Amino acid sequence: MKEIKRLDFSLLENILKGIEKPGRYVNSEVGTKSKKFKQISDFYDLVFVALVFPDIYEVGMSNLGVQILYDIVNKNKDYTAERVFAPWIDFEKKLRESNVKLFSLENRIFLDCFDLIGFTVQHELLYSNILNILDLGGINIKSEERKEDFPLICAGGPAAVNPQPLSKFMDFVVIGDGEEVIISILERVKVCKDKNRNKGWFLKEISRLDGIYVPRFYRFHYYKDGRIKSVEPAKKVKKASVKDLNNYSIVRDPVIPNIKTVHDRFAVEIMRGCGRGCRFCQAGMIYRPVRSREAKSLVRQAVAGIKSTGYDEISFLSLSSSDYRDIEYLLEKIASSSKSNRISFSLPSIRLDSLSPKLIELIRSGRKTGLTFAPEAGSQRMRDIINKNLNEDEILDCIRMAFSKGWERIKLYFMIGLPFETDEDITQIISLLKKIIRVARDQIAGNKLSRLKINISINAFCPKPFTPFQWVKQDSMGKLKDKFDYILKNIPGRYVNMSWTEPGKSMIEGALSRGNDRVGEVIEGAWKSGSKFDNWTDHFKLHIWEEEFRKAGLDIEFFTTRGFSSSEILPWDMIDIGVSKKFLLKEYDKSKKCLQDQDKI
Amino acid sequence: MINQRNACRTKIRFKFYKKDEFKYLSHLDITRIIMRALRRAELKIEYSLGYNPRPRIVFSPPTPLGIESLAEYSDVLINENISGQGFKKKVNLQLKSQMQVIKARKTAIETANLMNDVAVSLYIFRLESCYSDRGILEEFYKTMENDLKKSDFSRAIYDLGIEQGRTGSHIFFLKLFGYAKIFKEDNNEFFKFNDFYKYFTSWLKDYRIGVREVKKEELFVLRENMLKTPMDVA
Repeated sequence: MKEIKRLDFSLLENILKGIEKPGRYVNSEVGTKSKKFKQISDFYDLVFVALVFPDIYEVGMSNLGVQILYDIVNKNKDYTAERVFAPWIDFEKKLRESNVKLFSLENRIFLDCFDLIGFTVQHELLYSNILNILDLGGINIKSEERKEDFPLICAGGPAAVNPQPLSKFMDFVVIGDGEEVIISILERVKVCKDKNRNKGWFLKEISRLDGIYVPRFYRFHYYKDGRIKSVEPAKKVKKASVKDLNNYSIVRDPVIPNIKTVHDRFAVEIMRGCGRGCRFCQAGMIYRPVRSREAKSLVRQAVAGIKSTGYDEISFLSLSSSDYRDIEYLLEKIASSSKSNRISFSLPSIRLDSLSPKLIELIRSGRKTGLTFAPEAGSQRMRDIINKNLNEDEILDCIRMAFSKGWERIKLYFMIGLPFETDEDITQIISLLKKIIRVARDQIAGNKLSRLKINISINAFCPKPFTPFQWVKQDSMGKLKDKFDYILKNIPGRYVNMSWTEPGKSMIEGALSRGNDRVGEVIEGAWKSGSKFDNWTDHFKLHIWEEEFRKAGLDIEFFTTRGFSSSEILPWDMIDIGVSKKFLLKEYDKSKKCLQDQDKI
Repeated sequence: MINQRNACRTKIRFKFYKKDEFKYLSHLDITRIIMRALRRAELKIEYSLGYNPRPRIVFSPPTPLGIESLAEYSDVLINENISGQGFKKKVNLQLKSQMQVIKARKTAIETANLMNDVAVSLYIFRLESCYSDRGILEEFYKTMENDLKKSDFSRAIYDLGIEQGRTGSHIFFLKLFGYAKIFKEDNNEFFKFNDFYKYFTSWLKDYRIGVREVKKEELFVLRENMLKTPMDVA
C-alpha cells in the first residue's frame, strides 16, 4: 500500500510568507467534504481522487463542474476527493525553491500520493498548466513513461473533447458528462487497489464504458502532409451523457470560498445543452440534447441552498438561461420565498430575443446584477451565417428595455474572424454599436448619462471540433489585427469600453483545439520553455509557441488558416459526440448559402 | 414600503478571533465570511435604505495578512430582539473553529463607529533568543527600547513592555501599542504594521533573535484619557 504523505501546516506557513493571497492555499472553507484524516480509522483504504482545476483558486472555485464532481465523489463512503488548483507564479517559485511538491487543499496530501488525478479542462490555453501541475506534483508528465505507476491521470471538460493534443500525457480522457462515469471509474480504481490489479487491466476495463477514451488503444497513421490517413481501431468512443438531470440534486452545500472568487455566488444549473444551433458554438453541440431541471424541485433546492450557504446572489447557469421554460416562475418563487434575504439574481446568458419585461422586472427586484448579451455579429448577413437567429430590431428592443428599467451599463459580446466575413460585416459592428448607444441614451435621464457604459468584448473566432465550422479556415493573425485596428479606430469612444483577445492567443488556441497527437510534443516543449497561464495576457508568450511548433516540424497554419476538407479524417473522429458529422456538414453547407435555420433537436 | 426602522432594533457588538488558516484571509474576506455566517444564522440584518442597500455592519481596523488576531470587533444592527449570548451561540454554529465569536453584547444604537473609535492596538511578539544570560538580555531590552523610540515608528509606539515567557527563559513578550488614531490625525496616515514588522525583524536579526509568533492581542479606545476595550465601553 502506498504511503499517504502530507504537508505539515507549519511547513506550509513557512512557505506562505510573502505570498500573494495566501488564502488560495489554505483549506477550511465552509462546505468542504473530503474525509477527515483524523476521523477515519481506515483512511488509507479510501480511494483518493484529486480534482484538479488547472487555473488559480479564484477561477477554479467559480466552476460549477468541480463542485458537482466533488460533491458526488465525497458522498460515497469509499472515496474521497480533494481539490487542487494551479499555484500562482510566486507560490510555484517558493514550492520549487523549497523542494515541496504540490499538494491538495483539504488534507494537504501530496499530488503523487493520490490514486487518481482528474483535470477539468475548460479551454485549450490551460494545457501548459496541466503539465506544470503534474511536474510540480513530482509526476512524470508522459503516460508511457509512468508505466505501472499510480496515480492514474485523466482529463475531461470541453477542451478535452478533442483528446488528441493531451493524449501523450493522459492515461484516459473522459468525454461528456462526468456525474455517472466518475463513479464507474472509481469502482474500478477500488478493485485495482483492493485486488492489486495493474494499470493495463484497469484501462481495458474502463475502455468499455461510454465516455472513456484510452489513447494507448488507438493508432493514428498520417500522410506525409500531416493529414490523418487512418485510425485504428474504427470503434468510436460514445460520449457519456446523463439522461435526466433531475436524478442528480443540485449542490446545495457547495464549498464556499473564503477569499473572493470570480463568481462569488450560489450557482444552480437549470439546464444543460442549448436548443439553439449557433454554428460556431462548441458547447451548443457537445452538450446536446437539451435537458432541463424540473422547476418545482429546483425552487425547493435553490431556496435550501441559499439558506445553507448564506449567499445573497444566485446565478442560474445554462447555455441560454432565458430559454429555460419556467424561468419566470423560478425567479418569482425564489424571490418570494426569500424576501427578507435580499437575493439578487444573475443570468449569465440571456438571449436578446427572450428577455421579457417580466423577467427583467424580476432580475431588478434584487440588486441589479450585470446584464450581458451576445449579438456576436454586427450585420444581419453574418448573424444568419452563424445561425444566431436574431434581428436588429430584437437587439435594439431588448437593450431599450434594459435601459428603460434603470440599467446604466451592459456588456456585449462580439466575434470577428467569422467564416465568410467581409469588411462590411466589421463596419456593421460599429454601426450597430452606434445604434445601441443612441437607444440607450434616449432612455437615460440627462444627469445620469455620464454613468452610461457599454462594455464590449470582442473575441477572434477559433473553429472548434464538433461544430459546423470545424472545417473552416481561421483568419490569419495579420487579418485579425487589421480588423481589430479598424474597430479600435472607429469605435465610438464615449460610453464604450472595449476589451479583446490578442490575435496571437486566438491563433494558438485554434491550433491546439484542432490539434492532433503530434501537437502534444509542442505543448510539452512550450511548457518546458516556460509557458504557463497562457490565458493570462501578461503571461502568454507567442514566440515560445511559434518556436515549439517549428521545432516539432509542424505548421501553425496547418491547424488554423488551412481549411480542412470535408472528406479528411479529423483528429477527433474517433469520438462520437452525439451529433453526426453529416449533420455538421449539412449545417456548414447551409451557412454557406446563408440559410437560416432554427434547429431544435 | 414598511419602514423597517420601526421594527425592534438591536445593535450587537461582538469580538471574535481569527487564527490558524484564517489568519491568511484578508480583512475583506473576513467581512464577507461574517456576513454569510450572519445570513446562515438567519439573523435579520438591517440594510441601509436607498439606491444601493448595504448591510449595517462595521468592523474594527484591519489586521495585517498572516497575523493571528484575538481581538477583531464588529458592530451589527439587527431588526429583532436578541441577546448577546443568543447571538454568539447562533453565529458560532455557522463559523469554523478557526474563527469564533468570543463575546457579544447589546450596545446602544448610537455607539461610536468602531473604525474611527479604536485608538490603540496591542500586538504581542514572542521572541526567541539564543541568550540565556540575564545581564545580556537586559542590555538588549534597553537598546531595543531606545532604538525603537528613535526609529521612524517612534510616534506609532504608545508603549513598550517586556515580559518573560512562561515556557522558559528564552522566550519573551514584547508589547507594542500601535498608536493608530492620533498618528492618523497628525499625519493623515495609518501606522503601517507591516513596515514596522519588517524593520523590527531585521533589527532583531542583528541580535540573532527570531520572532516565533505575532498576535494582535487587544484593541483599545480612549475614554477620559484611559484605555478601555471596545467591550468595556459597549
